[in-house]
Amino acid sequence: MKISVKWLGDYVALPPSVDELARKLTAAGLEIEGVERPGEGLRGVVVAQIRESVQHPNADKLSVTQVDIGGSAMLQVVCGAKNYKVGDRVPLATAGAKLPNGMEIKQAALRGVESFGMLCSAKELGLTEDSSGLLILPPDAKLGAPVAEALGLDDSVLEVNVTPNRPDALSHLGVAREVGVVTGAALKLPQPKLAESGTPASERVKVRIEDATRCTRYAARVVENVTIRPSPTWMQERLKSCGVRAINNVVDVTNYVLLEYGQPLHAFDLDKLAGQEIVVRTAGRGEKMHTLDGKERALDPDDLLICDRDRPQAIAGVMGGGDSEVSQGTTRIVLESAHFVGSSVRRTAKRHALHTEASHRFERGTDLDAVIPAVDRAAQLIAELSGGTVAPGRVDVYPEPKAARRVTLRYGRVERVLGVAVAEAECRRILGALGFKAVEEGTGQTTYDVPRARVDVEREEDLMEEVARVYGYDNIPARLPRGLDTLVPEPASSEAERRLRHALSGAGLNEVVNYSFVAPKSLEVLGAKDAPIALVNPLSVEQSVMRTSLLPGLLENLSRSVRHQVESVGLYETGRAYYRDAQGGQGMRPAAREVPRVAGLLWGLRGGGRSWTQKDARMDFYDAKGAVEALLHELHVTGATFSSAERPAYHPRSCAQVALADGTVLGHVGEIHPRVTKALGLPEGVFVFELDTEPLYSASRLVAESQPLPKYPAVLRDLAVVVPVELANEEVRRVILEVGAPLVEDALVFDVYTGKPIPEGKKNLAYALRYRSAERTLTDVEVTTAHQRIITEVNQRLGAALRA
Amino acid sequence: MRDRLQALADAARQEIAGASELPAVEALRIRYLGKKGELSSVLGGMGKLPPDERRALGEIANSVKAELEQLLADATRRAEEAALEAQLKGPKLDVTLPGRGVVPGSRHPVSRTMEDIVRTFARLGFEVAVGPEIELDYFNFEALNLPKDHPARDMQDTFYVDESTLGHARKADSPSLLRTHTSPVQVRHMLAKKPPVRAVMPGRVYRRDSDITHTPMFHQVEGLLVDKDVSFAELKGTLAAFVRAFFGADTRTRFRPSFFPFTEPSAEVDISCTSCGGKGCRICKQTGWLEVLGSGMVHPNVFTAAGYDPGEVTGYAFGMGVERIAMLRYRIDDLRMMFENDARFLEQF
Repeated sequence: MKISVKWLGDYVALPPSVDELARKLTAAGLEIEGVERPGEGLRGVVVAQIRESVQHPNADKLSVTQVDIGGSAMLQVVCGAKNYKVGDRVPLATAGAKLPNGMEIKQAALRGVESFGMLCSAKELGLTEDSSGLLILPPDAKLGAPVAEALGLDDSVLEVNVTPNRPDALSHLGVAREVGVVTGAALKLPQPKLAESGTPASERVKVRIEDATRCTRYAARVVENVTIRPSPTWMQERLKSCGVRAINNVVDVTNYVLLEYGQPLHAFDLDKLAGQEIVVRTAGRGEKMHTLDGKERALDPDDLLICDRDRPQAIAGVMGGGDSEVSQGTTRIVLESAHFVGSSVRRTAKRHALHTEASHRFERGTDLDAVIPAVDRAAQLIAELSGGTVAPGRVDVYPEPKAARRVTLRYGRVERVLGVAVAEAECRRILGALGFKAVEEGTGQTTYDVPRARVDVEREEDLMEEVARVYGYDNIPARLPRGLDTLVPEPASSEAERRLRHALSGAGLNEVVNYSFVAPKSLEVLGAKDAPIALVNPLSVEQSVMRTSLLPGLLENLSRSVRHQVESVGLYETGRAYYRDAQGGQGMRPAAREVPRVAGLLWGLRGGGRSWTQKDARMDFYDAKGAVEALLHELHVTGATFSSAERPAYHPRSCAQVALADGTVLGHVGEIHPRVTKALGLPEGVFVFELDTEPLYSASRLVAESQPLPKYPAVLRDLAVVVPVELANEEVRRVILEVGAPLVEDALVFDVYTGKPIPEGKKNLAYALRYRSAERTLTDVEVTTAHQRIITEVNQRLGAALRA
Repeated sequence: MRDRLQALADAARQEIAGASELPAVEALRIRYLGKKGELSSVLGGMGKLPPDERRALGEIANSVKAELEQLLADATRRAEEAALEAQLKGPKLDVTLPGRGVVPGSRHPVSRTMEDIVRTFARLGFEVAVGPEIELDYFNFEALNLPKDHPARDMQDTFYVDESTLGHARKADSPSLLRTHTSPVQVRHMLAKKPPVRAVMPGRVYRRDSDITHTPMFHQVEGLLVDKDVSFAELKGTLAAFVRAFFGADTRTRFRPSFFPFTEPSAEVDISCTSCGGKGCRICKQTGWLEVLGSGMVHPNVFTAAGYDPGEVTGYAFGMGVERIAMLRYRIDDLRMMFENDARFLEQF
């Protein structure tokens, strides 16, 4: 909301500086987001008097003038306008000035005659649309003075961020009241004085409210014999400073009073109202009307309308209709000042996608007590500006008068809630200045009548907020919360998640955060079998369904990196995947099943890029698996298994299911299927993993348990076996450990080899076996015997051959 | 025999003195002192000698052997020293070549900031609570004192969820949407727990807005403290302490009256500009202040919806946008960078 500081000064004495005013209002809850100084754009434009004007020697349409700006010498200025006479005072933009329309003034020769600036029209100064000639200034304008001063543009405009609970501050009077409360200055309300004459209004127009649940009150006045013309400059300027375009005297007055009182008004051309009747009713089926913005609107039976005898003339509280619009030929008008129920206006405004000054205020709640003063004020101003006469009396339909809301404040509770003892007298002063009337006194408490502009005040806490904000949040002390009886343990998942991130970042992966919504296509291409949850109103199809996998985001990130010639990509994300839940949405149960996940992606060169230490080695399945192992290790999850698996998104040969020791499946790790990478326009060799974190965190041991160190030395022996290529390392290891128990402590695979001299279809696996006893130092014979037994058993069970 | 020993010793002395490399020294040891070496072969003939001569010769042989061993040991040491010397004098390593090993990855600025905020509040005893992102209208709005047709709903443009894709067996209690703030977690947390309550609630939130300064998804951390006689003064104290701990001991706070439907009284919290310290700059738009937090005393209607008696307990709640704080902290000037996940951006953290 824009508030003119000059206009505000009509109602209340202001602090000496605009900055102080802004600070005080902000501290009281009316945040001043900015201060506009419209005169600022007129810097370098001064008052000049034309002393001489002659025909330009080389141009028919130009004149050469000599102007006086109060200095010792005349300035020569070339000018194209004709509307002035010698002796007039006009605005001169001097060299260096930058006009509101962006034009920079330079000293220049025009058709061979030197010009030291430019004489300006009102349009060039950004004041009005009038470009017909120079703006003629008042004859008393001081020569050489800034034109902004001469034009009364030394105003400042406050940009007030009015929160939705404070519609009372959507007007100059409302803001003036706040100023008075914080400075202690008295409020001067306008006192409309009306000269009424002629036929009473009640005989000129009939008003009927058909839906009193949505229109609380409807007041009307009639003004006759009006002459439609532009409103005076002062009013145009005030409207303009608040961002409202001037139209004509009648419409301008309704807008002016809206900005003054916060009460939306509408003027109808009385002669265009069929039956000279106003009916407030909801729309009939199929009813249509033309609104002021020139659109034909199909009305909904839920829309509240202002109609004449035959048809709609306005959408109540939102926008007037074209048919009864005040026009050049209008001579009699009906002024509407009504109170419409917010939710009704809100529904209609939303439905028609209309947001107007009126709907903005009605939606938030207008002041029932402003209905009458506003219509009187408007009638008075219209009569003054249009030469019209105000018909005696008003038509005022107010079917169920509403009593003021009453709220009790217990003074003792103020301290309990605010943490500071605000004296009772101070509470009374603050509330009194805000217009609350004490109506009932009790022990340590007072019941107040809430001013009707304050639609937000419903209960005791609201009164406390009023006290607090005027008392000053700055004056409330700051204290730390009282001590704790106990410390709540940090949930294991927080620490586990921290470690997981630590492990993955440590493994060289960069953490990313992707949107939770993705394109349906991006899930389909991965062969996701669960139909995703969709949004009703997505911003785009690319963000229209909730992800059931974190992989689409990572693949998109990869695509971006590949475009930027990154040679090595390692990424991970923690976040949720979203699934349907047939039982969802009942009671406390969430609407959907949200599964926390971690996913990672690796592609390209190992070690972060090309390196002199290793010649362009590309990452493969085992880099991805290594990242998974790193996080399992960091979380001390032991006994997790990797087993070959087939999943739609993955390469059939290169995919493992990851499970906990108890068999709980965590997810998968593997290579993205080449058809998928192709479909996504990605290079091949993309390795990913995606795991559920909940079971992972449950299985994690955040506090590791230490083991005593072995007392006796280990004996190391290598073992190389030739087995079919499909035989998994884990199968071989299991046999070694089983047969070698209890002497074989570990068997570490250290070489995998295919090719000559190993026969086709076979591979060589080499293991480093570590023998150890907990009771004694092993003898060479013992180890040799055991090793021999392992060789025999591995051969028999797995058809392996000890390699020569 | 004696002469042969003497000659052998002379030759050995000379050769050992001339041997400068380890293999040569080793070869000499084998040649003279080895099992089949020259000394052995000379002494091999000793058996035929009479006993006294044998004894005398044995003494000489032993002293020759001891001498040669000493000389060989010295020669070995000399050769090792020379070899080491040669090695030390070789060309220097190119110490400017990059080191070997995994370059650690980075943490996303948003997730790290969120974690740090949560940890800072943990020091004041706040536990962590989480809730669903696909939320019911009831928890996101109504239970937070935002009934239907409430103008404050305009402040939060909402993504609604297509009910037909939720697979519900029974119609849900209220429409489903993507939560617009973390505040519904407050309500769920209170419904699940008796007072006192002291919790922070981090997470993703969604608003239907996308431009230079808005992304349709962002993160918030919500905080809630409920107990008997909790006052606005404690709210001020808690947040001022947080701000000092998080942004630096010199950072000042300013509380401004504001409006949130779920708190009353409500306060917007500004901090002195982290860039200019409050003098006024581009970051704070010359005001010296940055708006970073919303807060207030929990509205009685929220307590009622959460099953708490507003006559019994009071409390405060606050919420902050994680991206905003991360941008200030890391001096990121374009919000959208946060979700583009450009490797060149991520690597900076």
